[in-house]
Amino acid sequence: MRTRAEFETAFEALGDAARRDVLKVMGAALAMSGLSACEGEPDPRAIPYVTAPENLIPGKPRFYATAVTFGGYAQPVIGTTYDGRPTKLEGLPNHPMSGGTTDAFTQGQVLDLYDPARSQTVRRDGRPASWALFEAAMVDNARRLDARQGEGLRLLTGATSSPTFARELKALTDRWPMARWHVFEPVHEDGALEATRIAFGRPLSMRLQLDKAEAVVCLDADLLGPGPHQTARGQAWAKARLAFQQGSGRSHLLVIEPAPTQTGVMAQDRLAAGHARIGQLTQALAAACGLGHATVALSPRETDWIGKAAALLQAAPGKALVVAGPQQPPEVQALALQLSARLGAIGQTLILTEPVLLQPPDGPTSFAALTRDLLAGKVDTLAIFGCNPVYGCPADLAFAPALAKARTVVHAGLHLDETAAFAQWHAPLSHALESWGDARAVDGRPSLIQPLVRPLYDTRTIPVLLEALQGRPGAADRDLVMQTWRLAWGDGFDDRWKTTLPKGFVDEPLPAADAQAGALPAIAVPPDGGLEILFRPDASAWDGAFANNAWLQELPKPFSTLTWDNVVEISPALAKEKGVQNGDVVRVTSGQRAIEGPAWIMAGQDRGTVVVRLGYGRRLPGGLADQIGYDAYPLRLSSSPWRVTGDLARAGKRHKLAPVQPVTEAELADFVRTAPADQARTVKRAKTVSPSFYPDKPQAPPQWGMSIDLDLCIGCNACVIACQAENNVPSVGKGQVLQGRHMHWLRVDQYREGPDEAPDMAFQPTPCMHCEEAPCELGCPVNATSHSAEGLNQQVYNRCIGTRTCSSYCPYKVRRFNWFDYTGKDSPQVQAVRNPDVTVRSRGVMEKCSYCLQRINEARIKAELEGRPIRDGEIKTACQQACPTQAIVFGDVSHPDTAVSRRKIQARDYVTLEEADTRPRTSYLARLKSEGA
Amino acid sequence: MAQIFSPAADTWLRVATVVLAGGVVGGTLFASGLARSTYETRQGWHVDQPVPFSHQHHVGDLGLDCRFCHAGVEKSWNAGFPATHTCMTCHSQIWTGAQILAPVRDSLAKDKPITWTRVSGLPDYVYFNHQIHVGRGVPCVECHGRIDKMPMTYRGEAFKMRFCLDCHRHPEGRLKPKDQVTRMDWSGWTAKDQASFGKKAMQAYHLNPSRMTDCSLCHR
Repeated sequence: MRTRAEFETAFEALGDAARRDVLKVMGAALAMSGLSACEGEPDPRAIPYVTAPENLIPGKPRFYATAVTFGGYAQPVIGTTYDGRPTKLEGLPNHPMSGGTTDAFTQGQVLDLYDPARSQTVRRDGRPASWALFEAAMVDNARRLDARQGEGLRLLTGATSSPTFARELKALTDRWPMARWHVFEPVHEDGALEATRIAFGRPLSMRLQLDKAEAVVCLDADLLGPGPHQTARGQAWAKARLAFQQGSGRSHLLVIEPAPTQTGVMAQDRLAAGHARIGQLTQALAAACGLGHATVALSPRETDWIGKAAALLQAAPGKALVVAGPQQPPEVQALALQLSARLGAIGQTLILTEPVLLQPPDGPTSFAALTRDLLAGKVDTLAIFGCNPVYGCPADLAFAPALAKARTVVHAGLHLDETAAFAQWHAPLSHALESWGDARAVDGRPSLIQPLVRPLYDTRTIPVLLEALQGRPGAADRDLVMQTWRLAWGDGFDDRWKTTLPKGFVDEPLPAADAQAGALPAIAVPPDGGLEILFRPDASAWDGAFANNAWLQELPKPFSTLTWDNVVEISPALAKEKGVQNGDVVRVTSGQRAIEGPAWIMAGQDRGTVVVRLGYGRRLPGGLADQIGYDAYPLRLSSSPWRVTGDLARAGKRHKLAPVQPVTEAELADFVRTAPADQARTVKRAKTVSPSFYPDKPQAPPQWGMSIDLDLCIGCNACVIACQAENNVPSVGKGQVLQGRHMHWLRVDQYREGPDEAPDMAFQPTPCMHCEEAPCELGCPVNATSHSAEGLNQQVYNRCIGTRTCSSYCPYKVRRFNWFDYTGKDSPQVQAVRNPDVTVRSRGVMEKCSYCLQRINEARIKAELEGRPIRDGEIKTACQQACPTQAIVFGDVSHPDTAVSRRKIQARDYVTLEEADTRPRTSYLARLKSEGA
Repeated sequence: MAQIFSPAADTWLRVATVVLAGGVVGGTLFASGLARSTYETRQGWHVDQPVPFSHQHHVGDLGLDCRFCHAGVEKSWNAGFPATHTCMTCHSQIWTGAQILAPVRDSLAKDKPITWTRVSGLPDYVYFNHQIHVGRGVPCVECHGRIDKMPMTYRGEAFKMRFCLDCHRHPEGRLKPKDQVTRMDWSGWTAKDQASFGKKAMQAYHLNPSRMTDCSLCHR
């Protein structure tokens, strides 16, 4: 049965074909396959510069410190460019927020730059126009607005923290005092700001200091999950966890959540509870810590959890932190904040600052106010810059029809999206990697955004458009940013600009704000209305902004490992009750509103909770994301953006879903081991090498190896995309994923064990193990895979004839075969993102993780020319470099004093499938028990 | 019933067998010969260029150093082609009106690059790095031939894998002093010089030929 589940499509593809037919097709394939070897001559042209740019060395990449934005926050990065083509983003190493690491979305943004579906021309009423026409129209419009002090001018943007935007906005409102700015951000943090207002009297941003926290309680707060904060929080949490591993300090993480999250997986005690129930449990926890009273009847399990949490929190004064997620009601979050404050968190594990994101005049009701004014006919000119409200609009706001009431609607975006279809004017926006700008990171430090490449198309940035809106066409984005900082820095501007630009950011975090906790908020119990339907951003598409990114679409989502789709996530109990199986289309109703989407049974989910994921069901003609998945926004309410109540029923249809790992149930101990905490500090007993018929492999340094600490891995998938970007790994599409032909060199395996209601779950990144006794090498009939003197399992593409024997011999199943030419038909833009240091594979060859061979070779050449050995840490594999928690370490295992060797001598070091005795060079560190430490 | 086979059938069979066998053997020989021929490897074949640039004149007669134009050779995998600007450092002063240099002047005037045709292209899947070879004292002439004697540039060596491996297995026979890496004429350099220098170089650079034939050194 399990084989059938795992290879479902293979069984389907075989169908009822007779043995003879199969043989005939095989014969034909064999006869034809020889032809595919014929290929054209390489391009003989050599085109040098006319005048070579200064300091440019042909063939050498150049690096620029810059930033991309995500949810309005800067994600500071170093951009790699080859011959002017941005190819890879890495975290900015000196930035305190990220420490040089990134998340999956940031890694994926370089592909967005080259998205062939990007908007490239100005459009008027849907037809191509020109910037000259647009700017002339704006000059006329500005004259009209001057006469009425800007009355009727409304500006709608996504969340932003850009100082230049703030300056431009101020200039605009100074000139036109009646103009108003609104914000539309589907996955917003308004609830968190409201919570600080309730608790401390004014809206503040919370900066969690997870590196200083020894006891953390998350109440529906996915601290380590996807989002703009993931890099910062993952990095800080890992610091605390590493200290714990070394025996200094404790590391307790307790979680209550309605649906499984990455934070829940890392928790020592995870309790599933409904969204509304969590409010009551927060009260109970506060009461247990001596704050307020609670009259909640608790189940024995809840009593146990709360007792444990309260004890751990109170045992760590000044090092405790209680966080309720931004999707909880503000009162619940406020209570959690006050509990934190009582436990001495303020200034220690929790720093409150003025809001990092700029706050629109109407605050959280900004978008609703705009819709209301539109309907009332108060809006003359509406400029929608860099957001997509027609797609993401909550069901109770009729935004798209209301747009007809505005005289002029101007839309600027990266795509000709749903909103563009309702606008008179559409202007193409520049991508962050081709523009000048600025934004603040989650810690408030401003990043300067500098272009890695000239705009690919004739596009503009938002500040330039703001100038155009005021009748001043032709502004340069660089001048506008410089103007902002000239005003901020005064006389020292020139020097400071020169030193800040290469550094990438201004090292001034927002100062801690003075905050005094007020009265305890009253927590209302929402009426019981059936199932709780929760809205959550998608781990690949987020709110829809990343939907058109093939790398992200093909990135297996945590827990379900699904690609190219969003699902309605339900609990196993509910599935049984309603007779629903994975892939059954279900109808989710709330009041008069309904959506339909495929169901997925999520072990560990609260019984009455249904999770719908935002970001899909886009209407984006010509784009990858067009019409895939279901749109969850029509179920959402502006008054209740994260939770509605309703019901769910089978719709009588099925939808084919493409999980990368169809079976996640396993005996956990076979793969992911758990060890007592002291095993991180004890040395392993000397390993006995099992006898072998084969001669010993040379062991002269350097010998490459990798260690992956499963105690730190949060399953964020940043490594998978980083590997994809670095190694030119193709995306193959849903159809091929369904056949098990996805190409990721590094996958994050998901395992769960135990009861469906409360399973034990774990992540395990699995690259090529680079076995010392590699079975694949024995299998290859043409020696296309062999062992290097440095212990690498090498794959030689030009020798490979595609028998796939190696893959069938590989116990870890990490080899990937090019069933088709996945890359040959890539558009010229997409070709530009490729790393020139890595071969682009074509049809019929096997490929796999190379331990980032190109980086090893580059470092070796550098070291040899400098006459020294390669330093420890000099080579970072792409996955290692991206990992926010530094779970992956790579280096020389033949030298005892390298980071990787220091890990491999720990008692908790182990290899998977040890019984196969392939002697993998990639080993794992067991997860640690937090209790009893 | 008539005979199925004519009296000549046996002869035809023999002829066909011989022709077929000859064809297979001959075809194989021809194909392998072709693969080794300079027609296939392009060794020694001139290539048409937009400007008939003479390395003989610039390197042999004038004594320009290779690195004047191929400036990336010590810093990058890519030796690089000179920008038009590099040509014009001299040709804005000399041969300013020469007809054959018109494409160079055009290039600068119109800001359009000159499209040269590669002479020393490597096969696909090979990542060659100039920086480390030059940095270890593999002289240019070893792979590119006597450039100083080429009025029109041609490929000096067949860039077959065997050519690379010959040297990777026995680097001591090819390494020269690093400061003379662009020297073309090594006629004064005896086998004895080579033996003693090669030995020293192998020690100085810790070269270990057994590690220099790993696939992953060049293929990735």
